[in-house]
Amino acid sequence: MNDMHTPPQTHSHEVHTGTVHLPAPTAWPILLALGVMLLVGSLVMSVWIGALGAFLLVVSAVGWFREVLPHEKHVDVPVQHEIVEIEPSRAGVARIEVDETHRAQLPLQTFPISAGIKGGIAGGIVMLIPAEIYGLLRYHSLWYVVNLLGGAGVAGWANPTPEQLTHFRLGAFITANIIQGATTLLVGLLYGALLPVWPRRPILLGGIVAPVLWTGLLHNVLGIVNPYLQQNIDWWSFAASQVVFGLVAGYVVSRSGNLQRLHQAPLAIRLGVESPGLEGHKTEEDDRR
Amino acid sequence: MSTVPLQHESLAATWRLPSRGRVGMASLIVAECAIFTIFVVAYIYYMGRDVSGPKPHDVLEVPILGTVCLLSSSFFIWLAEHAIAHGNMRSFRIWWAVTFLLGAIFLGTTAQEWHKLITVDHLTISTNLFGTTYYSLVGLHATHVVVGLILLLTVLLFALAGKVRPRHSERVQVLALYWHFVDAVWVVVFTLVYLVGR
Amino acid sequence: MDAPSTPIPGGIEGALDVTPQTRSRATYLEVLHDWVVTVDHKKIGLLYIGFALIFLVVAGLEAMAIRIQLAVPHNTFLDARSYNRMFTMHGTTMVFLVGMPILFGFGNYLVPLMIGARDMAFPRLNAFSFWVSAFAGIFLYFSFIGGLGLAGTGTAPDVAWFAYAPLTERPFSPGHNVDYWALALFASGVGSIGTAINILATVFCMRCPGMTLSRIPLLAWIYATVSFLVLVTISPLTAAQVMLLIDRYLGGHFFDTQAGGSAILWAHFFWIFGHPEVYVLVLPAFGFANEIIPVFSRKAIFGYPAMVAATVGIAFISLGVWAHHMFTIGMTSLGNTFFTLSTMLVSIPTGIKTFNWLATMWGGKLRFATPMLFSVGFLFQWVIAGLTGIMLSVSPWNWQLHNSYFVVAHFHYVLVGAILFMIFAAFYYWYPKMTGRMLSETLGKWHFWLMIVGFHLTFDVMHIPGLLGMPRQIYTYEPDRGWTLLNQIVTFGAVIQAVAMAIFVYNLVHSYFAGKLAGPDPWDAWTLEWSTPSPPPTYNFPVDPVVASRRPLWDLKHPEDPDSAFE
Repeated sequence: MNDMHTPPQTHSHEVHTGTVHLPAPTAWPILLALGVMLLVGSLVMSVWIGALGAFLLVVSAVGWFREVLPHEKHVDVPVQHEIVEIEPSRAGVARIEVDETHRAQLPLQTFPISAGIKGGIAGGIVMLIPAEIYGLLRYHSLWYVVNLLGGAGVAGWANPTPEQLTHFRLGAFITANIIQGATTLLVGLLYGALLPVWPRRPILLGGIVAPVLWTGLLHNVLGIVNPYLQQNIDWWSFAASQVVFGLVAGYVVSRSGNLQRLHQAPLAIRLGVESPGLEGHKTEEDDRR
Repeated sequence: MSTVPLQHESLAATWRLPSRGRVGMASLIVAECAIFTIFVVAYIYYMGRDVSGPKPHDVLEVPILGTVCLLSSSFFIWLAEHAIAHGNMRSFRIWWAVTFLLGAIFLGTTAQEWHKLITVDHLTISTNLFGTTYYSLVGLHATHVVVGLILLLTVLLFALAGKVRPRHSERVQVLALYWHFVDAVWVVVFTLVYLVGR
Repeated sequence: MDAPSTPIPGGIEGALDVTPQTRSRATYLEVLHDWVVTVDHKKIGLLYIGFALIFLVVAGLEAMAIRIQLAVPHNTFLDARSYNRMFTMHGTTMVFLVGMPILFGFGNYLVPLMIGARDMAFPRLNAFSFWVSAFAGIFLYFSFIGGLGLAGTGTAPDVAWFAYAPLTERPFSPGHNVDYWALALFASGVGSIGTAINILATVFCMRCPGMTLSRIPLLAWIYATVSFLVLVTISPLTAAQVMLLIDRYLGGHFFDTQAGGSAILWAHFFWIFGHPEVYVLVLPAFGFANEIIPVFSRKAIFGYPAMVAATVGIAFISLGVWAHHMFTIGMTSLGNTFFTLSTMLVSIPTGIKTFNWLATMWGGKLRFATPMLFSVGFLFQWVIAGLTGIMLSVSPWNWQLHNSYFVVAHFHYVLVGAILFMIFAAFYYWYPKMTGRMLSETLGKWHFWLMIVGFHLTFDVMHIPGLLGMPRQIYTYEPDRGWTLLNQIVTFGAVIQAVAMAIFVYNLVHSYFAGKLAGPDPWDAWTLEWSTPSPPPTYNFPVDPVVASRRPLWDLKHPEDPDSAFE
């Protein structure tokens, strides 16, 4: 059965005796349970069963109460034990070999998540510029973009004409601000959370890769989320403002400080493998450096 | 081997665990919240869907006296908790009795209201959807008040007999936690039934 | 209690239990009395398990009756009414009288031992909870003979385990069958909530010194999470039962569609309970896997914090997926999209768990004893069950297959292929601790392989009649549908499973008297329950254990290389 188990050598000392307090056995719980069940069951049986249940319920509730107050009833069980010293069993512990050459090289430090949020806020503000330029050039209105994001098809404003879209509307303005604020914050948070994955080139990740993924995702699902927005959106200017968002966010992030990057630890430690020995290995290496 | 491990860390002195009474009561309150949520959802769902009268607006009156009594009882039970924690048994008894009285007045107002609804307005639990949801939601809360009052009364009787000591402070506080919960639920029920639903 | 005399450099000592064992012969009546008045968590745990095993056999026989009825078209083994009663009682029993009690039983037995406590936080409440659940079970089965008397099947419930309104209202279900169902579930719900409160308080308030929340075994974490889920899901069920009873007894209109009540509201309330219930049942199975797989891989569990996070994550996500049972009832497209996506989201934390188990096994020194065999079976079947779950979460696919045998096959894959398999693994793993004797490995292997073959014959094949359009809950079918052969294979697989179950029950009984003596620690495991004698004495530990790592017994056995040095 346990061929690997080598029981440790033990040396016995003197025997200690003591007592253990255990709650005393009691019949009140089962009687109370029976009372509850009879009471419940009386709904399909007879009133007399219910009366018996109620009687049991009251009696056992009182009995239970007296069991725990003023003092919980105990039984004392005498026990004896002796303190033993454990000598190492010397059963060699097999370790998992961690070959560092084929492990991913993860940095010791990454950008903090707050950097991503800051980048998100900054990007969210700056990305308004290309969007507004598009709105001004094409429709000569500051409010077109805002209305498109915040009003159309969302707040009971069904199928507005492009003409209506160029005029200011308070509800749409507030909705658009909420959507823009929440989305940029969330995307910034996501960005910050993703940074450790690709920490060396935040601008590439933020400026190109993330906007492409994000725009692609939106391009596919926008028809479900807000069909009206999909009809009227101009994908090229939309993508442009996403790229601006990403570039600004990436720039803000990359300004948040120089990080130690070459300092590497084995993947196993980064992933939290709790194999004893791994950590010892790492500290030795650190000492050498 | 049957050997219990013992580590040489003098933990026993610093080892603190939360009180099981509080954790148990908190868990019970979580469960109760879930039950109330279901009844509240049913009330909201059926609001205004009646196919026959009477409507809430015609028959319900805002029970200001009962509400004030119940909500202020939370404050008095807090005073009682405070008193027993500091070993001041005399004021504990007074505040505890006040709490009980206020709870009883609340129950009385509810009984009066139901009496009026049944005899004057002919609204029972089987009259219409409003009756069904109203009586079950308010009744569920009233049941909790009754249970709370029985517990409060038990403690009160023992306190008057001089059996409650400052060392029971913990248990009293656990019971008070339940009473606070009953009061907090009333805020929700009151808002829904008498303010929003009317 | 006793301060250790001489500190050892490694910082580890053991306290050997040398209390003299006095074995007095007790009469049967005394033994019975002992069990009835007990507040000991181990005895109550065993009561739960024994109670659940009896109902497992009963509900298994009901399943066999269903399968025999469906083996050939136009069968007359059961009539329509009895068939309805059989599947209603099978479902209700398996969920409320087998699944929950057996898992609570293991929790009762193991959680205090694993966290170094002597008993549950509220030992008397514990006894009360068990007895209420037990009486509720007996009450439910009393419906077979109650009411209309012994003739036929009495007034057993016949409204399916989800008991959709308005079928359950007085005009459509006269008599007491629905009352029996609602009252039994109400009472067993009270018991479940009591136990859940108890387990939560135990895990948080009864830990031995050094057993911080980041050191408790994953099983204890899982039971705490499950208990939270029970609190927030069984309570809605209890509330819904109360509403149903108000309708039936006081003439209320909650689910009375004639008076403006809503049948859909019942469906919502039931599934708010019903879906998290699946996780209430499956999470303890995960917990068993968390304990068994590392021991038989000879490696510590991979990614303890990730496992805890995934457990809690599953619990929270599971609260927001219920309406995927209701795609065909009709919802807005927003509702369909939301519940499709939230259902798919569950696969992320469960995927984390699956990969962590695989990573635990990776590079380990695997021992394929019976508990490990069942665990590996569980891993495969759980993944397949999860994949069909993702298929069903897609609402258009669901519209096509809802209430077909595909759905039946899917959830039995979870309940049998994952949960029951892990329950078997837990039996083989902890039976030595509970009784002091090993279960027979030979019979265990027979049990495992027969179970695997029977399970896959039954539930793999059962997907196909579903795809061919066979609806669930029909008591017979026409011969020209092409379902006959498939149903016969399914029934044949069920017979094989019944044989495997018989071997298992025989093994349980036989090994109790003639099994190999186990000793305190037969598997060379690492958690505290293995530091007590088998079976453990009433007091569990002669002194309070003091721990300094997640694997206290590893530290004890390997003082030269303790885990505690790395925490």
